[in-house]
This record gives sequence, structure tokens and C-alpha cells, in this order.
Amino acid sequence: MTTAWFDENNRLTPDELQTVAFPLSRLGRRGYEEEAVQEFLGVVHAEFVRLVNERASLWQDVQRLRRRIIAGQSNGDQQSVLFGEADAHVHAVRILSTAQLTADRYVADAQAYSSRVTEEARLRRDDIMREAEQYSDMLMEEAHSKARDAAVSALNAAPGPQTDQERRAAQAELAYLRTYSDVYRAHLRAYTEGVLRGIEEWERKDAASLQEAAERVPIAGPPAKDGKAYRRS
Amino acid sequence: MPRWVHWRRRTREAGPLDVARLRESFAHVAMHGDELPLFFYSDLFIKHPEVRDLFPVSMAAQRGHLVDALVKIVAQVDSVDELTTFLQGLGRDHRKFGVIADHYDAVGDSLLATLEHFSGPAWSPGLASDWKAAYGLIGSVMTAAARADEQVHPPWWRGTVVACERRAFDVSVLFVRPEPRIDYLPGQSVALECPTRPKLWRYYSMANAPRSDGLLEFHIRLIDGGAVSMALTSAAIVDTELRLGSPIGVLTLAQPLSGRHLLLVAGSTGLAPLKAMLDQLTALPQPPKVHLFFGARTADGLYDLDSLEKMAAQHSWLTVTPVVSGNSKFAGETGSLPDVVARHGDWSGHEAYLAGPTEMVQTTVARLAAAGMAQDHIHIEDFGWSEP
Repeated sequence: MTTAWFDENNRLTPDELQTVAFPLSRLGRRGYEEEAVQEFLGVVHAEFVRLVNERASLWQDVQRLRRRIIAGQSNGDQQSVLFGEADAHVHAVRILSTAQLTADRYVADAQAYSSRVTEEARLRRDDIMREAEQYSDMLMEEAHSKARDAAVSALNAAPGPQTDQERRAAQAELAYLRTYSDVYRAHLRAYTEGVLRGIEEWERKDAASLQEAAERVPIAGPPAKDGKAYRRS
Repeated sequence: MPRWVHWRRRTREAGPLDVARLRESFAHVAMHGDELPLFFYSDLFIKHPEVRDLFPVSMAAQRGHLVDALVKIVAQVDSVDELTTFLQGLGRDHRKFGVIADHYDAVGDSLLATLEHFSGPAWSPGLASDWKAAYGLIGSVMTAAARADEQVHPPWWRGTVVACERRAFDVSVLFVRPEPRIDYLPGQSVALECPTRPKLWRYYSMANAPRSDGLLEFHIRLIDGGAVSMALTSAAIVDTELRLGSPIGVLTLAQPLSGRHLLLVAGSTGLAPLKAMLDQLTALPQPPKVHLFFGARTADGLYDLDSLEKMAAQHSWLTVTPVVSGNSKFAGETGSLPDVVARHGDWSGHEAYLAGPTEMVQTTVARLAAAGMAQDHIHIEDFGWSEP
């Protein structure tokens, strides 16, 4: 038998492509973009693996055909030359492999989609929370500054016996502030409750859609097989 | 008799394996990439269709696991002790998938057929018998470990979800009643399988010490696109019957306790195994001093702070420091968890237990080691082969 082509020590392997490192060009000299080179090497690697696999599979085919011809010649059976039993298995393996890869892709796509949806929901939730926080900060800041102003003006008010008019003014100011605070509190409450209602609505819909999905797709429990079911026939 | 004695004897009887030849042969077939495990599983399923039921719909991750295991086995085939421990764990772990002794022959046949297919003209009777002998050893170590485990544990437990509490936007706490009762060490984990996600097993730590009613608490964080975590965090999980694998894990308190003070660092749901330890400590007459750092990105991610603070109020030996990394307005400690732990004092006399996102754990380990804590006083969980 001749030496196998991949037994030759100086053949390039796909793995070597992944570990190859080129010296960097000196500063100021023109060179390729490193990322572009790496990207291209990735493409070459994938193609290389594909070629290696195609070659192996062709080699298997040749061997199988050769064996079949020899067997057919030795027993004079024309039929066995045309139809080989070994072929059926290899074909079956190839078909199953292709089907499996398709299934894998479907699952991967579904997973990627669900990942995207969850991520978006998470980001939106973060936005809403941030917005609510900013809004509440703004309300608080405004209330604080009003209160500060009120305190400052109270301090600046002339000391000494307060006239009726001044007392009335102070009471008016106090009433005004109370109302102001009530209004702000009501605002804040309404806003927060709105947000909460939104979340509850979303949770209810989430549960309802899950329920609906569960009803539509009967969920199989774990297979109640005993050890015997798995035993080879 | 230790397993490795058995291994050596078998090796000698079969004649020494040509390890170099095995490795060279594996390097050649590994060149075919994903085609190798793809061919293997297709060959296996065509010859033994009943085996297909043991696997999930998507085989992409499974093919990776197979190649990883083969790479590890071929790399360590001459360092028997390490490999034996790995294979025993693998054998025990495969019980929950419903793997029985007969499957090992089927897998061996398909593995050999696959190697032959991809070896091309390099395949020879000598190489075939080398691979056969190597697989025979692997299979015998795995089946022996599985058989020994059969005497002690069922292959898996049924566990009914009795409650699901949403504690944060993306964290739920599940209470599960296993049947029969599971005995485990606080800090250990089990693999969970949810009926709506068949054959997808994920590891979660129990967040409580074993209780008289057998109830288990799990902390589940929703991972974007995580098929299992999504099913487990949904309210529809209540009353569902899960499957639970054998408890595993080495993140447990030393028995007897070392006497050193304890530093616990939990990132997000990494809290679960550490909370189980706290639960265990509260039952002791004289627990050591414990400082728990509990970190999350935002304040509402500190999903279990109420119960931790209640615990700290009841027990003078426990200090709890909540840490928020992403929100500077938090009233407590802010910043990255490793930073906060590091600036909180000298931990060199402590025994540290860390759990949480890999990056956070690695950084904390590095910070503690740099600050002079001995490596063997730092405990982290490393599932290795059983990584979900």
C-alpha cells in the first residue's frame, strides 16, 4: 500500500491554519489588516475541513466500489456489483446527518430568537425603570427647591412681632406648600401605579399565553420507559 | 481495591497500549471536525434507533461534549488517576440519562466504525485493537462506577414544584419536593430536567440545608434565550414534576470546621449554595464568625436580601454586606464585588467560599490570592465535565 496522503509529515492540516502567526510589518510599512487576514483564514479553514471530509468520503466510496467489483468478479454475481449493502448504511448515515443538522439549525434559530426577545424585554424594562427614576428625581428636586425657597423667605422675613397680615401670608404659604406636596404625591402615585399596571398586564398576558400554548401543545412527560425498553433487540 | 490498580492490571493483560499511535490516529481523525461526531451519532442511531430517545432534539452541544471528552481521554490516557476520576464521574452522571450497560457496547461499535471511516488507509488491525482496548477500559471504569452508584442512589428523583416566587425581574425562587427524599451536603447541586424541555439538564444548587420535610429551595436566574431557565422561572412551573439527578459538588464546608472565620462572596444566584451553608451554620451551637457579601448589578437584583438581613439580625456571628455594581445611588456599598470585598479589610486569616458568574469568581479569587489568602483556603465550584 502506498503511504497515506495525510501520513506525509509535511502536509498542511486545518489545525495549523488556526495557529499560524505572521510577523507584524514594521511601523510605517504597508501591511494587511490583521482582522481581515484572520477572517480569511477562518474561511480557508472551513473550506479546508470540507475538502478533507469530501476527500475522505470519496476515498471510502472508491474502496467500497473496488471491494464490490472484486467480490462480484469472484462469485460471478452481476447484481451484487450494482447494489452493495455497505452503500445503504453509508447513505443512511449521510441522510440522517443532514436531517440532524437541519434540526440543529431550527433549534439554534429558535433559541437565538427567544434570546433576542428576552434581551429586548430586559432592555425595555431597564429603560422604563430609568425613566421612572428620573421622573421621580425631578419631582423630588422641584419639591425640595420649593421648600428651600419657602424656608429662606421665612428666615428673611423681618424679625419681631408678626402682624396679622404676615401670619396670614405665612399660613397661605404653608397651605400652598401642603397642596403642592399633595399634588406631587398624587402625580407620583398615578405614574407609579400606571407603570405597575403595565407590568401586571404583561405578566397576566405572559401567563395566559403560556397556558394557551400548553393547551395547544400537549406536553409530554418524561418517557416512562423502564430499562428493558432500551435493551438492544 | 483502588480503581487504578484494576486499570493497570487490565492494561498489562491486554498488552501495553501504543499511546503514541492512539494519539497520532486521533489527531488525524480530529481533522474532520464536526463531521466526526456527526457520523458517530448517525451510525449509532441507525444501528440502535432506541438510543435516540436518550438525547435532546438538537445534537449540536452533544457533539461538542463527545469531542471534548475524547480529547480529554486521549490527552490523559497515560495519567490514569485523573482519567479514572473523570470517567467514574461520567459513568455515574450518565445514569440519569437512562444509559445502561448494553449501551456501552453499542457506543463502542459505532466509535470504532467512525474511527475506521475517517482514518482511511491509515486504519489497520493493530490500530483497531488499540482503540478497542482503550474503549474497553473506558467503558469498564464507567460501568463499574455506575454499578456502584446503583447500590446507593436511584438514577434520578422525581421532584414536584410546590411554589415559585418571583423575587426580581429575572430571578425566581422554586420550592421542590423530591420523592424520595434527597440527602446532600449544603452547597451541593443537582441537575434539573423540566418536562417541557426534555433531555436538557442544568445544574442548580440547593439554597437550604436538608430539612425535615425534604423540601428543596432553588434560585433560578433567567438567562436570555436559556431554554431551561425560561421554563423554570415561569409561574406555569408550579405543580410540574421535574427530574433531579444525584447531588454533586465540592463547594461544602469542611467537616469538622477549620475554626477560621468565613468569608462568603455571592454574585446574583450564586447566593444559593452559600445560603445553604448559612442554613447549616445556624444549627450549630457555636458557629464561626461569617461575613457574607451579596452582590448584584442593581438594587432589585438583591433578590433575597430581606431574608439575609433577618438572619443577620437574629445571629450576632453573621454580617451581611449587600453590594450593587451598576447603580451609584444605592445606599449601601457600590462598585464591583471583588473591589468591595478587597477594600473591606484583611481576609488572610479567613476561609473563603465564592459562587456566582465565572468572571466575578475568578477576579475575586485573584484579588484574595494577591492579598495573601492561601489558595487552599479559597473554595469555588468547578463542575468540569458536567458543566451545563
